[in-house]
Amino acid sequence: MLTVTVISPEAVLFEGDTDSVVAPAYDGEVGILTGHAPMMTLLGKGVLRLGTGGGTRSFSVEGGFLQVVENQVRVVTERAAVA
Amino acid sequence: MAKGRELKGRIKSVENTRKITRTMEMVATSKMKRAMDRVIAARPYAQALGDVMSRLYSPELAERFPLLRQPAQTRRAAVILITGNRGLSGAFNANLIRESRNLIARLEREGVEVELHAVGRKGLGYYRYIGRPVASSRIDIGDRPTAANAAEIVDGVMEAFASRRLDAVYIVHAHFRSAISTPPTTEKILPVTPPGEDRGKQQDYLLFPSAEEILSSLLPSYVRNMVYRALVENTAAFYSAQRTAMKNATDNATDMLNILRRTYNRARQANITQEIAEIVGGASALQG
Repeated sequence: MLTVTVISPEAVLFEGDTDSVVAPAYDGEVGILTGHAPMMTLLGKGVLRLGTGGGTRSFSVEGGFLQVVENQVRVVTERAAVA
Repeated sequence: MAKGRELKGRIKSVENTRKITRTMEMVATSKMKRAMDRVIAARPYAQALGDVMSRLYSPELAERFPLLRQPAQTRRAAVILITGNRGLSGAFNANLIRESRNLIARLEREGVEVELHAVGRKGLGYYRYIGRPVASSRIDIGDRPTAANAAEIVDGVMEAFASRRLDAVYIVHAHFRSAISTPPTTEKILPVTPPGEDRGKQQDYLLFPSAEEILSSLLPSYVRNMVYRALVENTAAFYSAQRTAMKNATDNATDMLNILRRTYNRARQANITQEIAEIVGGASALQG
């Protein structure tokens, strides 16, 4: 289980548990599952997908970064919208 | 009863004024609440960005980034003044303008050339009035400033700083400490001073592409976010100032009404007493 927060300058768009995260990193998509090594990467422009038991939730994001520490994923992006 | 009618007219007019100020107070209160929510919603992002910045920052890296450059001598500076677009908020705008005047005066005493960027109709109006050139101005930012607004305001200045046309950038805005305390504040946004708390507390991360590139891409976001926060705080502060001003106006109108009503009643009673005295006097004259 991953605890994910999606943060934009204006608000926290998502906060909760998911099974997987697929994010548009600066150089291509990056997928994250439970037990990922601590990582920080810049984000490019694209669709962020959070896979939960019930389905996927998508956000379009642009810029910012993604951080993974001990199954905590923090997506901090300059522009974000629910897609 | 000439005086009575006059007083009645004034009572009506004060009552109407009070209705208006009370409504404005309620409107300002609800707008302030919404603006406060936005201030709170903006915190996690600022926090997250600050965290990362202080993790990645190190003095050795600093020398290589234009936005962290500490100029030996400040020759040109920019001041971004944020005010409200409207008045009826007590001394709110006047305080901000005074703060900016003091800052500009101080910088100019030190021999710094200052360019002014005005955000908000009131600040712009003032500097136009005293005839000071304004480098850029925005009066179209409403109750809901966006991160994009902040970027529009600061991107040009940031570029000027990076290309060494500016040596420092200040922002003057109202700091939203609480609903009753919103002091005007000056913040130096460039060169960037990274938040210092856990500087150097390096955690072992895999960094993509590299600490340096992450930092260089996040620095502009950090600066934009400072401006965004200034905008949202200023909006919340503006409405809380307006609410206070309108509450005072409503209270004053209530006091005034009490006095007017008392005067009116006294005049009315004096009139009646006099009429009775006249009747009694007339009757007793007839009897006499």
